[in-house]
Amino acid sequence: MPSVGMNDVAVSFDRVSKRFRLGETHRSLRDLEALEGVSFSVARGEALGVIGPNGAGKSTVLKLLAGILRPDRGGIRVVGRVAPLIEVGAGFHGDLSGRENIFLNGAILGMSRAEIRGKLDAIVNFAGLERFLDTPVKRYSSGMYARLGFSIAAHVDPDVLLVDEVLSVGDAVFRIRCLERMRRLIEGGTTLIFVTHQLEQMQTICRRAMVLDGGRKSFEGPAREAVGHYTAAMSRAWRCRSTDVIESASAGTPEAELLALRVVDAQGAPIVETPARRPFRVDLRLRLSRPVPRLVVELNMRATPEENLLSCNSGRAGRYFNVPEGIHDISLRLSGLPVRGGQYFWNLRLWDAQRSTTLLDTPFGFPLMIDDEGRAAGTLCVDHEWQFAGRVTAELSGFEPVTPAQATAPPRPAPASDREPQAAIRPDQSYEALSLR
Amino acid sequence: MAVRAAWTSGLGSGVSEVWRYRQLLLSLAGRDFRVRYRQSWLGVGWALLLPVAMLLVLTLVFSGTVALTAPDGRRVPYALFAAAALVPWTYFSSSLSGCVNSLVANRNLVTKVYFPREVFPFSCVAGSLLDFGIAAVALLGVMGYYAARGGWSFSPDAALLAVPLLVVMQTALTAGLGMMLAMANLFYRDVRHVTGVALQLLLFVSAVIVPLPTGGSALGRLMAWNPLVSLMNSYRACLLFGQVPDAADCAYVAVTAALALTIGWTVFRRASMRFAECI
Repeated sequence: MPSVGMNDVAVSFDRVSKRFRLGETHRSLRDLEALEGVSFSVARGEALGVIGPNGAGKSTVLKLLAGILRPDRGGIRVVGRVAPLIEVGAGFHGDLSGRENIFLNGAILGMSRAEIRGKLDAIVNFAGLERFLDTPVKRYSSGMYARLGFSIAAHVDPDVLLVDEVLSVGDAVFRIRCLERMRRLIEGGTTLIFVTHQLEQMQTICRRAMVLDGGRKSFEGPAREAVGHYTAAMSRAWRCRSTDVIESASAGTPEAELLALRVVDAQGAPIVETPARRPFRVDLRLRLSRPVPRLVVELNMRATPEENLLSCNSGRAGRYFNVPEGIHDISLRLSGLPVRGGQYFWNLRLWDAQRSTTLLDTPFGFPLMIDDEGRAAGTLCVDHEWQFAGRVTAELSGFEPVTPAQATAPPRPAPASDREPQAAIRPDQSYEALSLR
Repeated sequence: MAVRAAWTSGLGSGVSEVWRYRQLLLSLAGRDFRVRYRQSWLGVGWALLLPVAMLLVLTLVFSGTVALTAPDGRRVPYALFAAAALVPWTYFSSSLSGCVNSLVANRNLVTKVYFPREVFPFSCVAGSLLDFGIAAVALLGVMGYYAARGGWSFSPDAALLAVPLLVVMQTALTAGLGMMLAMANLFYRDVRHVTGVALQLLLFVSAVIVPLPTGGSALGRLMAWNPLVSLMNSYRACLLFGQVPDAADCAYVAVTAALALTIGWTVFRRASMRFAECI
């Protein structure tokens, strides 16, 4: 008889280990310890994020939960109907129409025909594919394919939903709707296990997260702390690698070479750490083996491998350097960076604008520590000040809603800005506008 | 609410799991059936036309060379002799050639979704059963043609009731063999090629298109061990001669079918937990 507490546990992993044989046949002798003694449990209606580098064992956890794999050691308990979304549209058949695939995929996920018939409209609506219901899915775009796949799985009404990195497909509007749907399922009591590399997305859904690394659980706790733990671990891994960065960069191309990159403070003293929002300079020493009359220099800065936080491109700022053959110094002056404390990495690209060729593109390296005295929790760390503005009597006086016509458009950023314009997402944008090309 | 605590490998759990997923089994069979005839002008007509065409070819080749007599001494038209066995044979061989690939061809499902793996070979058999049903119409057509032409006469009687029983036994035999082949092919892809060759050979030694050598030769006695021979003889007895099939033949087929199904299913279930990682 399970205790009262056990009734609320939807998923539990008890010291689970799983080993894979590498190689073509199952008799191959090389083994990979995909999971080693991993334990966790998830309560009913809770969402657990699973993050970690590639090959950490995240998908293996999901496959074990789905019953696709059997653990070598340890116990697994799953209560209720499981809907695995390990790959959207696994089991779609290209020659069948959207409608036929809904019935087939629904059956694969354990729904009865009557149940699917009842939910058909909702599934189709959610995917926004009303007009293409009778088109064979081989004519679908990959986004339509993904939308249909997610929509079916999200309508299974599972007790446990397993989601593996499926939301990276589909457009932004659909991604938002998927997150909404997942949130609603959780509110309705569904347990969610969410594997993803999109750390922000994970945090919007999951309050708790687990970090896997090399098949072991390295952290479990509040999602924000897990993300911090993971990014810190990733930075450490990066730092280890960055020692060889100079070598690979100085190998360069026959035409251009980065001899040195250093960060200096306002007084010109080299630094490896700087307080947030204090101006500094990046000095570059380059060797060119031929004259480049229109040289574009670009420095990018990142905290994680995915996204540039900063990209300074001399060409976009209107500076093309006319550089003769030989060794030269170029420097970039930066006002202070308003970013959260942590480790940041640089990459240098050199571009010959006359011949339209890349001269050099180094890996990310050259770590710079930014210290914010532990004050920032978001991505940015900007000056701010809180005020108490006094007591009011009327609820909305001075706070009337602004209509779009009244609102003035923000000034366009100056052309010298380093920022690319962001694609705007209108909440009313429908899929009609995004139909088949 | 289902609680899955351990991985069950017994045959009993297999039966109940497959029963729970019966709708998926039918959906997959329907998928294979529909896809087979999709984007073709004749569509499902092929299910009718293919056995007829095959029969025409065989009749052209063999009708003069093989002399056949019924138990009552009448001459049997070759087309009838062949059709009565060819239609069940096609069900058998197309099931097995589908089964052998069924796991490997559905690799993305095997590695991404859980449901009882038996569903794959079973759905192949079910899909072929649909084709078999359509081909049976062609068989009735051939029988009707010969009855109308006066070359043969049929008296529908109680013996025909044995046909569904034969189909059930054949289905069990096929499903058992199909599971073993699908599983073996997952581990060693050689099995698919071997199956192709073996089916070619079986066609000639199963009394489908030519009768067994008579006269008690060693080869003939050896071939008589083939349960398909007993099965084909039983089909002919019911369909062509209006006889109840030989009890020994039926018992032999029933025992082989039961063995194939039990052994095949047990072994398949035991191995199925490793499918996703070995495929």
